[in-house]
Amino acid sequence: MRRIVAQARKELTQIVRDWRTLALALALPVALLLLLSVGLSLTVNELPLVVQDFDGSTASNGLIDAFRASITLHVVSWPVDKTAEEALASNAARAVLIIPSHFGRDMARGVNAPVQLMVDASDANTAKLVSGDASQITSAYNQRMAGGMQTGPVQAAIRLWFNPGLSSKKFYGPGIFVLALSMFPPLLAALAMAKEGEQKTILQVYVSSIPAHEFLLGKIIAFMAVALAECLVMSLLLFTYFGLSFAGDPTPVVIATILYAFCVAAFGTMIGAIIPNQAAALQAVAVGGFLLVFLLSGLIFPVENIPEGLRWISYIVWGRYYIEIVRDALLQGGGWPAVWFQVLIIGVIGAGFYGLAWHGMRKMQVKA
Amino acid sequence: MITTSPARIVEDHHGITEQPAIDVRGLSKRYGKLEAVRGITLEVRRGEIFGLIGPDGAGKTSTFQILAGVMEATSGSANIFGRAAREMRSQTGYLTQTFSLYPDLTVAENIRYSGNLRRIPPHEITERGLQYLQLFDMDRFADRLAGQLSGGMKQKLALVCALVPQPRVLLLDEPTTGVDPVSRREFWDVLAHLTEEGLTILLATPYLDEAERCHRIAFMYQGEILQIGTPTELCTSLGAKRIELRTADLRKAESMLSRETGPDKDIIDVQRFGDRLDLLVRDADKERKWLTEKLKGAGLSVDEMRVDEPTLENTFVARLRALGRKADTIEFPAKKDHSSLRGQVAVGAANLVKEFGTFTAVRNVSLQIRNGEVYGLLGANGAGKTTTIRMLCGLLDPTSGTMELGGTSGNLRSEAVRKRIGYMSQKFSLYDDLTIRENLDFFAGVYGVPEEEREEKIRWVLSFSGLQGKQDQITGSLPGGWKQRVAFGAAIMHEPDILFLDEPTSGVDPLARRAFWTMINRLADGGAAILVTTHYLEEAEQCNRLGMMVAGELVAEGTPSGIKSQQSGHLIEFIVDQPQRAADLLKSDTERWRVSLFGERLHLIAEQDPATAIQQTTKRLEENGLHVISAREGRFSLEDVFIAIVEQTRPQGKPVTQN
Repeated sequence: MRRIVAQARKELTQIVRDWRTLALALALPVALLLLLSVGLSLTVNELPLVVQDFDGSTASNGLIDAFRASITLHVVSWPVDKTAEEALASNAARAVLIIPSHFGRDMARGVNAPVQLMVDASDANTAKLVSGDASQITSAYNQRMAGGMQTGPVQAAIRLWFNPGLSSKKFYGPGIFVLALSMFPPLLAALAMAKEGEQKTILQVYVSSIPAHEFLLGKIIAFMAVALAECLVMSLLLFTYFGLSFAGDPTPVVIATILYAFCVAAFGTMIGAIIPNQAAALQAVAVGGFLLVFLLSGLIFPVENIPEGLRWISYIVWGRYYIEIVRDALLQGGGWPAVWFQVLIIGVIGAGFYGLAWHGMRKMQVKA
Repeated sequence: MITTSPARIVEDHHGITEQPAIDVRGLSKRYGKLEAVRGITLEVRRGEIFGLIGPDGAGKTSTFQILAGVMEATSGSANIFGRAAREMRSQTGYLTQTFSLYPDLTVAENIRYSGNLRRIPPHEITERGLQYLQLFDMDRFADRLAGQLSGGMKQKLALVCALVPQPRVLLLDEPTTGVDPVSRREFWDVLAHLTEEGLTILLATPYLDEAERCHRIAFMYQGEILQIGTPTELCTSLGAKRIELRTADLRKAESMLSRETGPDKDIIDVQRFGDRLDLLVRDADKERKWLTEKLKGAGLSVDEMRVDEPTLENTFVARLRALGRKADTIEFPAKKDHSSLRGQVAVGAANLVKEFGTFTAVRNVSLQIRNGEVYGLLGANGAGKTTTIRMLCGLLDPTSGTMELGGTSGNLRSEAVRKRIGYMSQKFSLYDDLTIRENLDFFAGVYGVPEEEREEKIRWVLSFSGLQGKQDQITGSLPGGWKQRVAFGAAIMHEPDILFLDEPTSGVDPLARRAFWTMINRLADGGAAILVTTHYLEEAEQCNRLGMMVAGELVAEGTPSGIKSQQSGHLIEFIVDQPQRAADLLKSDTERWRVSLFGERLHLIAEQDPATAIQQTTKRLEENGLHVISAREGRFSLEDVFIAIVEQTRPQGKPVTQN
């Protein structure tokens, strides 16, 4: 026990001694949380729309007004002598609405009155949003023109749950929180471990009779402490600036956080033990801690959208389970019945990393 | 194979039989195909300082790692006090070549961490840590980061860390590389003390003047132990004498005598020093006569000829030569001729001063180095050597004073001047992640070696480093000594006529060091001016002139013999029955630096005439129950003189090491 404490204490001293490391450990997660969750916004609004009105009737103006009222779209002016294609090609507009002449006349006659909407579909997601929005606006306009009398038989009454303001900040905040936890503590742990190999200080450890378990646990505890400190700092931000609060029973997330801290610290230590080279260890953690968690955990794209060939990878991405737990705690509030399995899995993966690290170090001898 | 084979149960000097402290039997270590250690057997007695010497790659570090219990042996046994080394880790202290300290922890934190790993009670860690820090005069630095300590202090800290758990066996793998002579002498004094208390020490060193301080030595080569014995036994086993020859034209004499030299000829070896030649001969009397005639016949004067016992270094090099390991390489493909420059002032510095803030690193240093001369700059760590060199080669502007380099005193960094300069810094920056060949291509390009000469020059560097066929190896994977050879080769590829070498031979084995010096002399003969620094004073004797720096000042200058003859007093060598007690007693009578232990021999620097000094000291020792076996006047080594100069400067209030 004393040796574990001595080991953990030594690691923490080294971390605190170097202000760069400390900044990496505490300031960067906060910066990441602010930058990504504010910058990373998938709700679109104020997309520029160019309108070419060849009709100029009351009816056409009415339709344009309907578009003007949309939050998603923002009508910008466009010189009449330039073509619609030019507006799209020069990125002046994301979509162009062309109202042909006779539009007002056809409306009055009650015959089909087509208008054309050209959408820049290079960004597929935004194009979908724009076309969806445009058809909603036109059908609403149709209804109004019809005098509001004719209503369809089916009417969906939509209510948004868990995040009624559709604030992406509330959705991404917890995700980035998990990302930061998955990245910085293992990075520090891997560098510290690889450094022992590089600077040959590991020899001193081998010469003492400290067993691999105590050595690894001491290191892992130190980096768990780092992870939990980060967690604390970021939680403050989530509860204040992001306006989040516990939606239900907080015990699952508290226990999961401790397990997750162990899991990431063990991951970093394992990498450092297997790759005793700081530069290479850094890259390995970047792939495992950052890329996997960023791309394959449901942080941005729903796991269901990952092509089936790759989806199996997401089942072993530890961040995926933790994201589900954190989102549940802060948004859905499902509690233990909803997330017990995820908590368990995090524990299992953490134990797996620890086992691998131990396997690499068990002899406490120079590999030859 | 000449082995003075020790008995399984050995008698210590009190006549009590006891178990050996370290017992190695048929130990082998294999790395894939490479057999690093091939069935070595050795025993180290309790309280003994046992030296393991051998060239790079002899298998010393592997042996240490097995004894420290951090690596498994392929076969054979390594026991410490009768039990397997791995089980005895709590009884062993191990100093690795790199010291294995945490640079970002303080001195106290390093001690505490290593003590805690071995479960030493906290109060004992504090007590003993402080006790040893005081012993090393380091207690003031308890809160300093280990990374900010000088080499000598790092070494002492590593030793404190190893000593706090009170080990019974201490394993020291090249502990003095990069450590200055003053710190090194203190280090050895401490080691002598520790063995007196019963500690057993196994030590490896590439420096053989240092190895003479061991009680016994094993000579290791290619994974085998060739010879074990006391330093004296090893030296006499060669059956040869050493002749020191002083003559006006060393170069001519050397080239003439080299032709008559070989492992099976009468002259076994010729080595050129700064102001003398050392000849290793089988029959001293016969050779004296022959030499006198031969030199006279060639029109060379014989200024002095002295016969002495061979040094350990002589023995070592002669043995390696006999084993067929040659230090010779292909001829250096010299394309430039600097001989017309001979005698001109290449480096001229007058009253150089360098201040860093309020700290004066260098004060009033004036020196001149002429083309064709090898100048050695000596000093303890922090004496200002590196700062001086940086100013001399124009890398750093002096605060005041004037500098002249290759005849120009204006812009010392102009391309024309820089082309003529070669500089090998202490930690020469070869790129560890490039191959050897890529490094050499790069430096050849940077130094502007003409395209058509490059291939030939690079081939020479590879041959000089003994790395033919290994040019595609990654540089980082080379042992330090080899890297140093490549770095040296890279620094002289462009044939500079002014060459600065800052600790070029640090960590290089004796045979390779010999090759370095042969090359340095050849370059000087070709007209280059060369400045060298080193911590090894035996090596410094190869310089034509020496300058000794203490606390930023040049305090002594002259030829090696000149400096030695300026030293006042006499050196008396005693052999006594209890050397450590005798040393402690004499140290309490006089200044500490006047007394030092070399294994069983005790050196005393006395101011009286030798006869009186011997008489008085013998009386003093006998009164205290110590028996003097023999006493005679010895000759000062350069190290004795250097230590004396530094120590005499100390009372004048000059700090010896700047921290």
